[in-house]
Amino acid sequence: MPPSSRIPPLLQPHVCLPRDDSILLLTSTLGASANWLITRFLGDALNLKSGADGGSEGAGRIEDGEGCNVLLVSWMREYEFWKQDCRKGVGVDLERGRREGRVVFVDGLSSLFLEEENPENNARTAVPVENAPAVRSVQSLPARGPAPGRMGGLPARGPPAAPTTTSPTTIRSGTTAPTSTSHNAGCYSLKSPNLAHLKTTITTALTHLTSASPARKTLLVIDNPDILLATNPALTHTSITSLLLSLHARPDVAHMLIHLQADTPLLGIHTPPQPLEVAQRNLLVKLAHMSRRVIGVRVLDTGVARDVSGVLRVTENDIGFAGLKAHGRGEDGGEGKRREMLYKVNGDGSVKVFERGAGGEG
Amino acid sequence: MAFRKRNTALTRAPPSSSPTDPSSPTTNPPPTAEPAPSIPGVRPSPIDGRPTTSTGTFSLDSVLAGHAGLPLGTSMLIGEHGTTDYAGALLRFYAAEGVVQGHKVHVVGMPEAWGRELPGIAEDRGDKKREEAKERMKIAYRYERLGQFGAERERGALYIHANGTDDGEKTAVFCHTFDLLRRLELPVGSAVNYIPIPRTTSSPFAAILQNLQRQLASSPSDTIHRLVIPSLLSPALYPPQSSHPSSLLQFLHGLRALLRAYSTRLTALITLPLTLYPRNTGLVRWAEVLSDGVFELSPFAHSHLESLATSAGATKDEEKPQGMFAVHKLPIFHEKGGGGSGAEGLGEDMAFTVSRRKFIIAKFSLPPLEGDTEAQAEAGRDASGSAMPRKQDLEF
Repeated sequence: MPPSSRIPPLLQPHVCLPRDDSILLLTSTLGASANWLITRFLGDALNLKSGADGGSEGAGRIEDGEGCNVLLVSWMREYEFWKQDCRKGVGVDLERGRREGRVVFVDGLSSLFLEEENPENNARTAVPVENAPAVRSVQSLPARGPAPGRMGGLPARGPPAAPTTTSPTTIRSGTTAPTSTSHNAGCYSLKSPNLAHLKTTITTALTHLTSASPARKTLLVIDNPDILLATNPALTHTSITSLLLSLHARPDVAHMLIHLQADTPLLGIHTPPQPLEVAQRNLLVKLAHMSRRVIGVRVLDTGVARDVSGVLRVTENDIGFAGLKAHGRGEDGGEGKRREMLYKVNGDGSVKVFERGAGGEG
Repeated sequence: MAFRKRNTALTRAPPSSSPTDPSSPTTNPPPTAEPAPSIPGVRPSPIDGRPTTSTGTFSLDSVLAGHAGLPLGTSMLIGEHGTTDYAGALLRFYAAEGVVQGHKVHVVGMPEAWGRELPGIAEDRGDKKREEAKERMKIAYRYERLGQFGAERERGALYIHANGTDDGEKTAVFCHTFDLLRRLELPVGSAVNYIPIPRTTSSPFAAILQNLQRQLASSPSDTIHRLVIPSLLSPALYPPQSSHPSSLLQFLHGLRALLRAYSTRLTALITLPLTLYPRNTGLVRWAEVLSDGVFELSPFAHSHLESLATSAGATKDEEKPQGMFAVHKLPIFHEKGGGGSGAEGLGEDMAFTVSRRKFIIAKFSLPPLEGDTEAQAEAGRDASGSAMPRKQDLEF
């Protein structure tokens, strides 16, 4: 099945990346996760679609019509999950993409707040954060040279295949040890909630991508950066947004897809709100204003239904934050501006998107 | 003739296969079932074959989106309103199941007395359950029954071998029935690791996580671990600064990382007093986002008069629900987007009943008792008006 057909037709125009560089925002709530939607974006970006087909927006988005590179930063979910979800949901092999240098995963889960037990690794993480990334980038530079040659071989496949097998200890040392960047190409991990560290890691990962395939631009997917805000009181929403903006301003980054939690309790509706809630709300509102498109998923307001997983709401923001330049407004008409649909994620990973009242049977 | 032929094949095949995978509930995925028999208390999920382990409560296992157990590498957060400790019963069953299965149980912030008071296996293994098993068996082995009468007894044995939920002597039991009045005899070795909550001025969780991590790293790779965290953030146990977002959420994030890193060896069950930390606060919501499964127990207000009144009338009082059981998030199921098979009861109003031997989660239905208006009003409030009272028993 061609990957494009895994994306429901109603959803297709909203999953297509816009023509010019933009920030897209995804929001999700407790009972309605947006993981399936992120994988749809990944599928669309990695999809080797010729420029001819697809929606009006999809046609001209990238000159060579080859999709984008993907840099996926996830603080909530591990690589294994994304790999499986992408394969099942949209039929995209992240592993292959990683070997081809099109996909880079930055792991913000495994060792963000979990220290290595291994004493020698302890010594490494004890290095001040300012120094550690520098060491890393130097280390990974020579690795990138031979990388394309050996990526097709077994070493690149070995460590990521490990999670399915029986020895978790080897996985841990494989994915979290700093040296893993050399033999585990395309996987980086964050070791501290420090923003400077995040920035250097993402920059290193981006250079890895551009060195492998310089022609393509990169879709930066940032999954739950709000966890940084929640767990680290020293951070402010301003520092996160300015970091995101500076990343977006890089010439090799085309689009940025940001996933945030938008549960009502997180946004501080009652008084007095907790500082945690204020920070989350500020970040969310700020990013929503900066975004070209906001897609929110939430559970049905009326309760749980057997044939509906949740509600998907798309809001296009034509004005845009960056330039106030006129985007092609006619391209998806007025009806695409604000739209609400229902969706149902099936057990096999496929998704059905339909209008309210159109029925979700089958 | 056709029946007879089919019959002989059926009776012959299972005994030969049962020694190799006694704990497999389904017959179709032999490759995925392969690693399961070596580890007691672990069986592949009937949905996707991922390894699951029992929570020690049959009816809680059944709620978990068709996986029929808690998938390894996931956590559950059970919040409870009020001052009762119904969730504690779930924790005890979970821990006791772990001890019985030979899993390593880690308990945070509880003295050794807690472990000594774990419920023991119910000696009388529930005739009712057996009846039910037979009932299901009738459907599965209907054709065989038609063909051969003499196989009656053997069929029972077969069933035990194939399913493993019944109490066969040598076969693995996935979920035991525990009796809250009995005491579990702990094995001589230290089956339970009591992790103390350090009295530090900084976050107490770092030490807990380190302790757990050390235990995981030092144990052999086929040991299953269970983490039990009773009354997380309760001021009776935890220092005040632990409820600061940076310490709690960092801990939960670290725990999530640990669960994912040991995704075939670790599960966790956490209870949280919701009266102290309401669900509409950002902190609790983040904790829920970071957990894989989220459940909420809302016990009904207990009234002595009422229990007296009903006990006089009928024998039904032991089945009277003691509170509402809300499912907010299920492991794996919601992570994938919240859909698909297995979560049939998700939208229903669920109620729980705790008795000496079991913790039953069933669809909530209002009993037609006239003296019960108070409970009805209570239930109506809890169910926020969307209740469709129906007399339907959800005993699995």
